[in-house]
Amino acid sequence: MKQAFLAGSIVAALGLLSPAAQAVPWERGFVISDYVFGFHYGGRPDFIKEGRIEPGIDCPTGSTKNFTYDDGSFYEAFKLQPWRTEEEIKLIMDPPGTDVNNYLMIRSWVNRRAMGYRGYAKGIGTYVNPFAAADPGQPEVTGIISEGFDLDNNPETGGFTSPDGQKGIDNALYRAWGCARPYRGETATLNKRATSQMLEGLYTAVIRLRGVQDPMNDSDVTLEIGYSPDKIQKDVNAGVARNYSYRLFNGTMYSKVKATIKNGVVETEIVDVLHAPTYGWFANQIVDGAFHKGRIRFTIDAKGAIAGHIGGYRDWRDVYAANTFGQDGAQQDNREHKDSVALYHALIRHADGLRDPQTRRKMGISTAYRFSAVPAQIVEPLTPITVEWPGNRQNDVESGKIIRAAFVKAIWTRAIQELPWQTGEAVYPGLERVIFDLPNGVDLWKMLDRPRNPNEPDWYKEWAEQKEAEKKGIVLRRRGFDDSSRTATGNGTN
Amino acid sequence: MTKRIYAAALAVSMVAVAHGATAAEAQRPDPKVPLAADHPRPAPNEIVSVPAAAPGVFSARKEKGGTRLVVKGRKFTSRAAIENYLAYRAAEEIIAQDGEWFMFVESRQPGDGAPALTVDAQLRSFSFRMPNFRPVWRYKTVGSGDWQTWSPFSGAAFFGNGIDPATVAEYEVTATIVPGKGLMNGRDPLAFHAIAVSDFLVNQVAPPQ
Repeated sequence: MKQAFLAGSIVAALGLLSPAAQAVPWERGFVISDYVFGFHYGGRPDFIKEGRIEPGIDCPTGSTKNFTYDDGSFYEAFKLQPWRTEEEIKLIMDPPGTDVNNYLMIRSWVNRRAMGYRGYAKGIGTYVNPFAAADPGQPEVTGIISEGFDLDNNPETGGFTSPDGQKGIDNALYRAWGCARPYRGETATLNKRATSQMLEGLYTAVIRLRGVQDPMNDSDVTLEIGYSPDKIQKDVNAGVARNYSYRLFNGTMYSKVKATIKNGVVETEIVDVLHAPTYGWFANQIVDGAFHKGRIRFTIDAKGAIAGHIGGYRDWRDVYAANTFGQDGAQQDNREHKDSVALYHALIRHADGLRDPQTRRKMGISTAYRFSAVPAQIVEPLTPITVEWPGNRQNDVESGKIIRAAFVKAIWTRAIQELPWQTGEAVYPGLERVIFDLPNGVDLWKMLDRPRNPNEPDWYKEWAEQKEAEKKGIVLRRRGFDDSSRTATGNGTN
Repeated sequence: MTKRIYAAALAVSMVAVAHGATAAEAQRPDPKVPLAADHPRPAPNEIVSVPAAAPGVFSARKEKGGTRLVVKGRKFTSRAAIENYLAYRAAEEIIAQDGEWFMFVESRQPGDGAPALTVDAQLRSFSFRMPNFRPVWRYKTVGSGDWQTWSPFSGAAFFGNGIDPATVAEYEVTATIVPGKGLMNGRDPLAFHAIAVSDFLVNQVAPPQ
């Protein structure tokens, strides 16, 4: 008994000296501070041409500039509808009444109504039924360098080489959308907007690593990624403050996977579907990325911050929906100088994964999202938590659900779907608030007409009553002119 | 402040976990936005398709240089309607062969006056440009036994020879396509993505008669 105890003590003592016994469980947490598409910008940083269209080895003709007034892009977009006359296009682009108050705003509404109905026939909502519109064309990335992963483990496919020389990088989304202005280069407006919204509290994404060896070299690591309901804490420089604590929500945007760390480079296993938050600037865009053949790779720097990529094949319908339905498609295209119809067709052309066995269509597109993150404490929730949207963002979510459902049905069935009236996608009734201020407003409104909501009022009559009341100093609250007229306002401010 | 709160929360949570509470128990229902794949597949009868054509209306034959597609009919409706139907069938033919796109082969003849197509000046890529799908026609008019031809590359207007389209008694519209698979060169003005073409036209076409 005594001998056995001694032997056991010796073994135990030896065990303390062995590498396994030296293992000390460790944990590191991070809060994501920057999160965008992994699009490799090929322009020259010192090249300035109106600050927005610089060419580069990625995009020889620079970024897209759809729906700008100075280059005919509005005309090109409307010319694709065979049912529009030249005269109608002219009226849409330059409606008479330049001396009317808020003319530019009214013109924008007119443009947007027309942009929202660009199908092969009148009355077809463009963004919910993008397949029914002629392709306006989208420049593709022609460069050969891309961020991302060799998702199919085949160096002969994908057509890109990573910045560090790996061949076979699959990032078809970059090839398809890499020249789109809001996602390209230093002036990527929607990337900036998404980051800004994240820092202002729209959403928070966190990562937690747990290992048993060394935080910089460990062959047995568990990585968790997910959403946190806790708003990002900023430092005095408006950056993301380090070492604050965030709860991790184990919901649909959560994954727990195995990983390894070699000299500070963290690489996860490849999983069938990696669930993680995607990025966006409206609540309805913050959804599960569902990266098929998903993986994460990042590097830990000397100060403990991390930078890297999440990659996999995403269902292109989700990618399209997030890009298009944050607000109504026309509002976003008009402001960001992109054309979601062109981007839809680019997705169709570049889809390279998730082949549907029934339809034989490729429903996935290879992609990588770039992120950086700073150290944080990731903690377990003590009380029940969920996904929480600030302010009235739940309206965005409800609206997004309705529009996405209509869009998905359109894609599945190829049947033209009506625009959901309770959302902003119909560009309604915002236009009706203002168009009759124009001298030919009634005619223009009729020309721009769209399928009628059976319950909608006589807009002109209400406008006339409002004008009459205003003359007497009375302000009427008109039906449908306030957000309470919809069950879900959401996407936009129509 | 937050840091202090959650430092305390971390300590409490460790106690909570030690007492058997789990992270899963601290979750409320996830108010997720459904992904595309979460939506139910439509029933087969909800999916739009084009009715089958009568026998002899459409034919496809592999030849040297591509697949030759022909649409025949006796009732002329409009050039666009008939050519769109041919384009739709071309796309469906490609999809049925597990292809992804096709190149339209122009039937240009020496002396044709139609200008050659060029790459888009802005180097844009397209899924299709329907005006570039230009099949060749031949037709007979009522009371005439002779076939007459019309080529879109000739430079002559469609029925510019004075013939009333209402007198067309029989026609054949022919196109040759070369199927392709993999990444399509969308800059090529003659490239057509089969799914995009099919989806664009499925609600617009009907079999000619």
